[in-house]
Parts: sequence; C-alpha cells; structure tokens
Amino acid sequence: MTVEINIPPVFQAMVKGVHRIDVNGGTVGECLNEMAAKYPQLKAKLFNKRGKLPHGISIYINGENAFPKPLSKPVRPGDKIYISHIVLGG
Amino acid sequence: MKVNTGKILRINLSTGKVSRESVPESTAAEFIGARGYGVKYLYDEIAPGTDPLGEKNKVIMLAGPLAGTMAQAVSRWIVCTRSPLTGAFARSVCGADFGAWMRFADLEIIIIEGKVDKPSYIHITPDGCKILSAKEIWGKDTRETQAWLNSQHGKDTRTACIGPAGENLVKYAAIVSDRRTAGRCGTGTVMGSKNLKAVAITATRVLHLADPDAYNTLAKEQVKIMGKDGGFLNHKEWGTTSTQDITNAIGIYPVRNFRYGQKVGWQKLVGAEYRKLRVGKMGCYSCPARCGMIHTVTSGMYKGAHSEGPEYESIWAFTGPIDSDNIEASIRADQLCDDYGLDTITTGSTIGFAYELYEKGLINKSDTGGLELIYGKHEPMVALVEKIAMRDGIGDLLAEGTVRAAEKIGKGSDFYTMQVKGLEMPAYEPRGAKSQGYNYATASVGANHCYGYAAQDIFGAPFPHPTDRFDEGNADIVIFNQDDTAANECGVVCAFAARWGWSQLYGKLLAAARGIDLYKDDAYLAQVGDRMFNLERAFNLREGFGRKDDYLPKRIRTEPLHTREAEGEGQMVSHSDEFLDKYYSLRGWTKQGVPTDKKLKELGLDAVIKDIKGK
Repeated sequence: MTVEINIPPVFQAMVKGVHRIDVNGGTVGECLNEMAAKYPQLKAKLFNKRGKLPHGISIYINGENAFPKPLSKPVRPGDKIYISHIVLGG
Repeated sequence: MKVNTGKILRINLSTGKVSRESVPESTAAEFIGARGYGVKYLYDEIAPGTDPLGEKNKVIMLAGPLAGTMAQAVSRWIVCTRSPLTGAFARSVCGADFGAWMRFADLEIIIIEGKVDKPSYIHITPDGCKILSAKEIWGKDTRETQAWLNSQHGKDTRTACIGPAGENLVKYAAIVSDRRTAGRCGTGTVMGSKNLKAVAITATRVLHLADPDAYNTLAKEQVKIMGKDGGFLNHKEWGTTSTQDITNAIGIYPVRNFRYGQKVGWQKLVGAEYRKLRVGKMGCYSCPARCGMIHTVTSGMYKGAHSEGPEYESIWAFTGPIDSDNIEASIRADQLCDDYGLDTITTGSTIGFAYELYEKGLINKSDTGGLELIYGKHEPMVALVEKIAMRDGIGDLLAEGTVRAAEKIGKGSDFYTMQVKGLEMPAYEPRGAKSQGYNYATASVGANHCYGYAAQDIFGAPFPHPTDRFDEGNADIVIFNQDDTAANECGVVCAFAARWGWSQLYGKLLAAARGIDLYKDDAYLAQVGDRMFNLERAFNLREGFGRKDDYLPKRIRTEPLHTREAEGEGQMVSHSDEFLDKYYSLRGWTKQGVPTDKKLKELGLDAVIKDIKGK
C-alpha cells in the first residue's frame, strides 16, 4: 500500500490536472521528493533554497496539520497527505 | 472574577441625547461580542421596513472583547446597519486602530441613531461625547478629514469617517479609518444620510479584562505560536498582493464581467510586479504582519499615485472587470476609492458592468459623456471612479449599483448585473470554486467572499474535509465556513490570522476577557455562529428576502465558464436548486429557506418565531 498525496488546485494546473498521486516515502519529505522527481516543475514550489517548505505551503496528514517540522513527520502506507496553500484570500 | 460584558455608547443625533449602557449578561453569553452584538441589537432595534437612509436606521460600530490587548490580530472592528445598497442585513469589517481605541474608551458598541440637521462629527473620550460641527471638513476627502480631526484633537485620536462618496449618498460608500475601510454594503452611505462625517475617539491605552493574568498568559502563547506559523510569515511578506497568481493559474479570476476565469497575460499582474512599486507597509493595531502593502507609481500617466493597497480584491476590481493589465491604473483607482470613500469591489464590478453594456450597445458615448468603455482601456475606468463618487454624469446612475442602474437602463441589462441580493460579486469565479460561489449565494449580506471563505476549494485546505472545487454538493462546507467566520467575528479575529495555528486559544482568550467560561468550548462557539447566522436570516426574511434571493446571477447559472488557458473550461453552476435544498435542510430551514420553529428554539431564538411566521 502506498501514501496518497493530494495536490492543491494551483499545482494541479501545473501538472495537467492530476489531482493526486501515490508515492512510497516514509516521511512527508521523502514523499514530496518522490513527487518532485516525477513532476520537476513542482520542485521549486515545494522546497525553498534550504530544502524546506516555503512559507506559503502547509501540509496535513489525514486531515491533521503536520506543523511544526512537517517534512520530518513519519507517514505510513494508507496515509493521505494534503498540500495546502496557507490561506491568502483578500 | 467579575464578568465584563462590554459597554454601549448610544448617541441620538436628532435629539443630541447621549447615554452609556452595559450589555446584559445573557446577551454576552448568547452572542459573545462584535458581529454577534451587532445582529442582536440591529434585529431588536430596527423595525421591519425601516428606510436604510431614513432617520430610523442605525449605524452600529462594534469592537470585540479582545481588541486593544496584547493578543495579536484581534483588533479589527465591525459596522452593522441595514444596507442602502441591498436592503438586507449589512456587516462590514474594518482594520487599523479604531477598534482598539473604542476599547480604550471602554466601549464595545457605539449605536448612532437619528439624523443631525447640519454636517457634524462625534468626538468621544473615556468620560464624554460631543456632537460637533463638521463644517470645516464636509466635502473633504478621507485623508484631509482625518488630518484635520487629528489637528483638532491630538495624536491620541483615531477616526472613522466618510468621504465625498458618503456625503453624496453613493449607495456603496465606505467608512474609512486610517487607510482601511469598512467597504461593503454602503455603511458610509448611512453615515452620510445622517449628516455624520466622522466619529473620532481620543483615548490612551487602558485594558478592560475580566481575568488579566490568565489573558496575558494566553496572549503570550498566541504570539509565540503565530510568529512561527508559515501562513503568518507568508502574509507578512506578501499580504494578499499575490493571490491573483493563484486565482489566475486555476482559472477563477473573473474577467470581463464574469465572462472568463483568467486574464490573458496575467503574468503582468502577479504579486512580484506589484512588489516593484512597493514603498512600505502598514497594519492593524497589535499585528506584526503589517499586511497592507503601500505602493507608489513612479512614472507614466499615473505618476504620483500612492495607495495603501491595492490588496487582492482591489487589484482584481480595477483589472479583471475591464480586462486591463495596467498595475499603475489599479493603484490610482484604489487611491481614489480610499480618498472618496468607496467600496472598491462594487465600484470595480459596477464599472465592469458598464463596459459590457457599452460593448453590447445598451449604452453609448452620449450616455457616458464621451468615454469609450472599451475592454483593456483603463483611462475611462479611472475617470468613472471619480464620476461615481461625485455623481457626475453617468456616475450618478452607476452610483446606485448595478441592480438599480439596470432597472433604469432596461433593455435586458439586468442579465449583466453580477450580484447576489444586490451586492456585487468579488474576485472569485463561482463556477470554478463552487463552495465559494454558494457562499455568495447564501451569505446574509449578499455576495461577500469573507462571509464563509472556501479555502478548501481555492487552496486545497482539507479541513473539516477536503473538497473537489467543482463539486456542487458541499453544503456542509459552506455552513461550516459561514458559522466559523461568524464565531471568529465575535472576536474580532482577522480572517487571515484565524488560520495561523492558534485557533485552539481563541475561546480561552474570549473567556478570560469576558469572564464567561462557556466560550472555552469550541462546540459552543460554533453554536453561537449558527445562532448569529439564523438571526441574520430572520432579519432578511422580515425585509422580504427569501429563497428567490439565494441564487447566483443568471450568467453563472447558464453560461459555461471560459478560462481561455487554465483547467476548468466549460465548468458551469447549474444546479442551484439542488444545492439550496441540501443547504436549507442541513441548516434546519424549510424549503423556502425559513428557519423552522424547532431550529429557532434550539438556538434560543424563540422570540423570532412570530416575526417570520408565514414567510
């Protein structure tokens, strides 16, 4: 069983409408790296120059906010990761 | 611990009578504060059928129990009245310092009644209140007005005022405080109808908390959490000046009067382009985000234009509706709206409506005074802002909002009014974010993006559960967002800051401020939100609103959304009835959108039952 990553609307527009993908990482960071390897256009959106999440992105695991240190949070097969832009609104 | 329910200052402009009252403890328990108090007092004190611009309408200004304290991003304030634009319940939220200053004067509610014969302003101190002549500032813009008031009353003064648009009774005039506005629904128009130019408060910092020690401990925790939150850090850097990057990318940036969902060449409008003209920042009381980005135009025909903003909605209002990518023009139009005291959203949307009528031949150059309203041309848009504020030429017609303008123009022009309940739609395309769209449809005030912002559809937020943004079935999400917003506006928590990781402390902060432990229970807060929303609904039902007023504009229900580039092509909202049936059922309302007796009793609103019988 794999980990499911749910892709937010703005990133869907960058990957031809794909809404979710399955990956095999043991942590959020490993999962996102696998996604970035498959969709290199997302890499700069998921990681800043220091390899951390940019400020505008938050991660949820099975609906729970993964803050703090989201990239090192462990995930198990069957878990669902949600990437969300932190509400900008206006 | 002594319960602190908040104080009311009641000012009757007709008689000159001023009184101070305390909010009853039962009202504090059931409605918490700010917007909660606003709907409670407006419902109880405004008779059905009251003329919004008549002497009997009231302007109610409200600060929350957390305002002016060391807790951050909780000092915004609210205005409630009956809207002259829509005839419905009006609530408009404003930032800057005025909410904190209300609390320093030991006030949570200012109720302004009646009408004064000559232009006047109200000056409030902790010990008194005077109605003074506004002869020197009537006709002045909002910057000049505030500068004059500060010169009269000193640096410890904060003001809420109207500009010429409010004096001229433009139906969507705003109340302006510093450079922030209570923009929507025409709250400034109601002030203008009372010959009231401004409310000024002179006070110094005093706290009125039931349990100061507990409160300060909680506030310190809030500050610590918020400072590390990614949302806070992002907001500090950008405010909302980059939201258009996302809404264009996903095809929900309304263009040409909601015909398209994406601006061709939108890359010229991205946040990074606005940043090139950024010269500073400003913010609300006790909020380190300072999200108001100040821009100055340094060259070209708008050289010298200077504005705190535009933020996302105003960026859209002066680009999307007229299909322009001119950033400088948007800054100039935003400045004019703030100076004249206009709601940028309805102003921009109304101008977009006029451009489409011009395109369709329903109005022509003789109607516009020679202006050619051709998509992409920004000069006529800037000219129209001034004409609307001064009711000059076609501006007199557009100053009425799109619904009344269409009634006068006829010829089928009502199809092009992009509004719900008479309030023009903001900068999110309903067909590409359907929970957001149905929030527009069902919000008490009309089409307002902040009444139940659907972060689930727009940004992929997975709470309380994830959504497909094209799914029309998320009535539960719309209700969750609306009730959650209502509860937060008892605070008054900034809508952005509410998501910055400290929401578990909100109820505890309220409880320590008021001395009412009920607030510590999140389920109780949700019920208060539900109670407020139902009372607002009852207010609207009394005024003749109902299911017929809960539909999105006909274009949104009948025309596919063309995004031109992004995903979402052909998405259409077409099942409003199915959604409304589900929404009403979950709300505990009848098929006509009327709260059932059972629902009202559950919420302790028994007294309302007789008011809406037979609706």
